[in-house]
Amino acid sequence: MSHPHPQGDTVPLHPSSAQSDMDEIESLIHAAPTAAAVLPARPSSPPRASIPISNSPPVAAPTSSKPQPVPPFSSAVSSSSAPPRSASVTIPIAADGFGAPPNTLTEPVWDTVQRDLSRIVSNLKLVVFPNPFREDPGKALRDWDLWGPFFFIVFLGLTLSWSASVKKSEVFAVAFAVLAAGAIILTLNVLLLGGHIIFFQSLSLLGYCLFPLDVGALICLMKDNVVLKIVVVAVTIAWSSWAAYPLMSTAVNPRRKALALYPVFLMYVSVGFLIIAIN
Amino acid sequence: MDEGYANLPTSHLLGSVPAVTPEERKPAGPAEAATSRLQQFPPAPGATGGGYQPPGSPLDGDVETQTNWKGYFNVASYAPYFNVDTDVVVDRLISSVYPMDGFFRKIDANPDMYGPLWITTTLIFMLAAFGNFATYLMQRKTDLNIWNFDVGYFNWAATVMYGYAIVVPAAFFFLFQYFGSRPSLVRFWCMWGYSLFIFIPASILLLIPVEFLRWVIIAGAGGASSWFIALNLKECTEGADMMVLIASASVLQFALALFIKVFFFA
Repeated sequence: MSHPHPQGDTVPLHPSSAQSDMDEIESLIHAAPTAAAVLPARPSSPPRASIPISNSPPVAAPTSSKPQPVPPFSSAVSSSSAPPRSASVTIPIAADGFGAPPNTLTEPVWDTVQRDLSRIVSNLKLVVFPNPFREDPGKALRDWDLWGPFFFIVFLGLTLSWSASVKKSEVFAVAFAVLAAGAIILTLNVLLLGGHIIFFQSLSLLGYCLFPLDVGALICLMKDNVVLKIVVVAVTIAWSSWAAYPLMSTAVNPRRKALALYPVFLMYVSVGFLIIAIN
Repeated sequence: MDEGYANLPTSHLLGSVPAVTPEERKPAGPAEAATSRLQQFPPAPGATGGGYQPPGSPLDGDVETQTNWKGYFNVASYAPYFNVDTDVVVDRLISSVYPMDGFFRKIDANPDMYGPLWITTTLIFMLAAFGNFATYLMQRKTDLNIWNFDVGYFNWAATVMYGYAIVVPAAFFFLFQYFGSRPSLVRFWCMWGYSLFIFIPASILLLIPVEFLRWVIIAGAGGASSWFIALNLKECTEGADMMVLIASASVLQFALALFIKVFFFA
């Protein structure tokens, strides 16, 4: 018995119960307050309300997403209850009062990518470029994410690896290890010095501050002039350090500020040296 | 009540044998509690005064309810080893260059691991970077154009420096304990770490592409470092028949200096 599901996002797991569909639905409507509690774990539907395509008013009554295989053409009972296509109607569990939040699982991939990209860009603008939040760096990166840092670290490793003439994979490995382990160790360093910092927020910030070095590495990849490389790398190191300075320095006791900032500077200088010296 | 015996607060007694200190080296009163706790590595979590409490961690002030092994994975239990300010670190760095400055007295009350960690890391980067730069300068003198950046220097430098800074003090700690003295592992790590500081300016000077000068520089740096190790080891261990161990420690330090010259600045 194959059910052509046009939406195709949910597959019922269990065979239908002995009741008819209408009886089941009626009993569920009456047992609404507890139905949410006994919601079975479904691997394919998100725990948020979803707006089924065939959203008719009676559907607002909580109908559980019991994994019953609704025959796709049982139009007699399904017009007012479970949508004919799939059994993916869920109870609005997200009790935030804003109605149904967007369903991030069934949205197009481009929407997800676009949302992440826009967050990366906004975080980048907050961290690397002058902005009114520099006084309170914790507030600047309130919406931290790790996609941006990951992308910047990999890009820097790739650029260095591309511009190396020998041992390309080893260059990438060294660059990636230095940057990734360096970010973690720098955050631990601040924590051990008695500073107050959020671990992942600091990782995120140190990753975003690599953006100037990425730009510098790209420029050095194009033009292979030593003097230009030194100038570009010096400027980008200064820019990266300026971007990383607020969070690192305000996180620790002022008497230990230099102890927290020096390793950051060390990491950026060593990566800068890699950019200059790789030929 | 078997588990009661396992969780008795005796962890602070492990290894914290009271050291026989000469009169002039008695640590300050309020620091005595901190000293005894710092003898074992790592201290039990929550046993520090004003240690960092990471957000979200259970605020347990009592030691009994926490098993010993969890102390190794808790960031807060290492925080007392980083309890230094900038001026303290700078002072220790400067006194590590002159061997006769009484370094051990300075770190006795508050050994820190910040210095060793970042000195070795800086040294790794310096050796890799300047080693490559030095080979570049040398081959430019011979007018060949076949220089390539050797990224393997990073791997070698990291292995050698981290291995030396961790393994050698631990080995000497066990050797000293075997021969009856009562050392402290953390102070050994601290001292050996600071002894490597002199190689940082030395590696800058080793860029000079004159071979004879390079040997002079590395001999000077190696000698100063070995002397530093010997003096401080003699100060922290009281027995006079440890001469063999102390001599071997200095020889090892000098061997490290030679290795740095031969491998990175050939």
